[in-house]
Amino acid sequence: MAVKVGMIQLCGCSGCHISLLDLHDKLLEVLPNLEIVYAPIIADPKEIPEGIDVFLVEGGIRNEHDEHLIHEIREKSKIVIAWGTCAAYGGIPGLGNLYTKEELLNYVYSTDSTDNKGEIPSEEIPPLEEYVKPISAVVKVDYVIPGCPPTPEMIADAIVALLNGEEPKLPTKIVCDECPRKKENVFPEKFKRTYEGRPDPEKCLFEQGYPCLGFATRAGCGARCPRAGVPCRGCFGKTDKSLDLGANAANVLANSGEAALEIPDKVALLNRFTLPDALINRKVK
Amino acid sequence: MGKIVIEPLSRLEGHGKVTITLDENGRPKDVKLHITALRGFEQFVVGRPAEEVPRIVPRICGICQTAHHLASVKAVDAAWGVEIPEPAKKLRELMHIGNMIHSHALHFYFLAAPDFVLGPDADPAIRNIVGVIDKAPEVAKQAIALRKYGQKIVEAVGGKAIHPVTGIPGGQAKRLTEEERDEILKDADQMIEYAKNGVELIKQLNDQYMDKIKTLGVIDTYYLGLVKDGKHNFYDDTLRFLSPDGKEKVDFKPSEYLDYIGEHVVPYNYVKHPYYKKVGYPDGIYRVGPLAMLNVCDAMETPLAEEYRKEFFDIFGFPANQSLAYNHARLIELVAACEKAKMLLEDNDITSDDIKADVEPKAGNGVGVVYAPRGVLIHNYETDENGIVVKANMIVATTHNVPTMEKAIQQAAQEIFK
Repeated sequence: MAVKVGMIQLCGCSGCHISLLDLHDKLLEVLPNLEIVYAPIIADPKEIPEGIDVFLVEGGIRNEHDEHLIHEIREKSKIVIAWGTCAAYGGIPGLGNLYTKEELLNYVYSTDSTDNKGEIPSEEIPPLEEYVKPISAVVKVDYVIPGCPPTPEMIADAIVALLNGEEPKLPTKIVCDECPRKKENVFPEKFKRTYEGRPDPEKCLFEQGYPCLGFATRAGCGARCPRAGVPCRGCFGKTDKSLDLGANAANVLANSGEAALEIPDKVALLNRFTLPDALINRKVK
Repeated sequence: MGKIVIEPLSRLEGHGKVTITLDENGRPKDVKLHITALRGFEQFVVGRPAEEVPRIVPRICGICQTAHHLASVKAVDAAWGVEIPEPAKKLRELMHIGNMIHSHALHFYFLAAPDFVLGPDADPAIRNIVGVIDKAPEVAKQAIALRKYGQKIVEAVGGKAIHPVTGIPGGQAKRLTEEERDEILKDADQMIEYAKNGVELIKQLNDQYMDKIKTLGVIDTYYLGLVKDGKHNFYDDTLRFLSPDGKEKVDFKPSEYLDYIGEHVVPYNYVKHPYYKKVGYPDGIYRVGPLAMLNVCDAMETPLAEEYRKEFFDIFGFPANQSLAYNHARLIELVAACEKAKMLLEDNDITSDDIKADVEPKAGNGVGVVYAPRGVLIHNYETDENGIVVKANMIVATTHNVPTMEKAIQQAAQEIFK
């Protein structure tokens, strides 16, 4: 019997949906077992039906419509999955929490190219919530598939596990465990920004002075960014043992003493993908 | 009397609805397109070190994330007065082309094709990619192969297929090895064949649906595209406006965009209405994307695509003003992208190690432009002397099309409710 599946993009970018499609021909093996009853990005039904087995929710909560939808989804679904880092931790849109919603609105509608600056749209469109929230702040979530986006394999593995009546299993290690770079276990004495110099391709980026959040971030991505020559920014979110990715990362960086204080824009670096899930989750006046 | 609300709009990325208010005779008197989401990227990149912004803004869109990454890093390079090495430019262009291939294949085969392959009156439950896979499995297989090829290119050059990371001020963080290049190049000819099959397919579908193509969403507008030496270019150089009658071309550089493009806030849409400043709002609204690109250019850059472009205008006239002709234009661009990918992969520079110039941040203002899969994309940042962003403006591809999509929907509504 096919499993009834729903998929939605709340305050997300659709990257998680595209990652599922990046299974490419393997998608043709997974699809026959699924009955996709609601998925506006790829299908036309406009009402969320009753009796959904598994609902994959991409994106966090940014406006009143998102909030309304997540309640409806929770009511109508046996299993709700926070699909991707935005749904699980707030994601990049969570950086909006560094500003108030009034600041966001005022800024967008007074850019240099705007002719009627200061007009704020408000007719027939859903008002913004005060700040971005992960979906777990609003409803009970059964499972999380983290990542920005999660890899196609992670998404497929989770679906297959659920089809077999099992729980999806997430990696328990940190990105450093997947990273091929050589580690000498020394803390840098000075930090660099990503464009400074040319990093040694064999050695740990953090130890070369490029702030890399791999040590505070859940594995699963295969350490793609360090392999490509740039430091990890924590897009897979915290590990099972962690309360707050940014706080854990700060603890490690603190080992470099004063040098760590020189790093620019620490709040948005340490909480790049996870501010709405942090212990202090927004700008507090 | 009454009101029709179409929500959510489906088979697209993003959040929108259409409202149609009917008069006493059941005719549409007020038709509006509402984009119902806002995140505030322009505000929340303020305060970020400029080199971090290309790692943030791809999350504007999970399909054209690469375009944002590249327009963003171009804007930072421009703000800091950086000239990147030639091989780095080619790598970025290749990354962009890879994304264009995946996105154009996704857009046509996965999102638009169900309307044509299954028909607009098909059961909504099957009018989707699953239905296309059932009804036309060979077509679906080629679509999947094209997407896989495009994503493979982005992953090899950009580090990740979705939300690439290697564009940094000064150039690229990663070179392309010979092995990686060979692995991609081996499929280049096959992909050009698959892309050509797409154009043959749309010509057949056009014949079936020509009455609808010539009546629904047919509007006259300005057009905005990207050209280099007058020719269609996905990645660089000069912006061009074309008048609705096709007679007047106005070229300008990305850095001059504020003299040519304005945005008008409308009360029922989180997205603003851009317009051509020399004409004003609303008469100066314009279209971007494949239809516009084919209209504004003197010719395509590559030979097969150029043959198809000439044929396109024989079918649709010049300038082509039919909204439903976008699909045919998109498939011609898919051929062009596959041809261009092969050219870049066969260029020896593509595996070079000379991919990063030295960089010092400074106070500056820079504009970065690419032609994203759905249209011209503009990122503009101002930085302080520490290279921290102090001001940002982004006009994204679909935004340019919002007022003209609304106009096309209004026209279609008038036709359908006759």
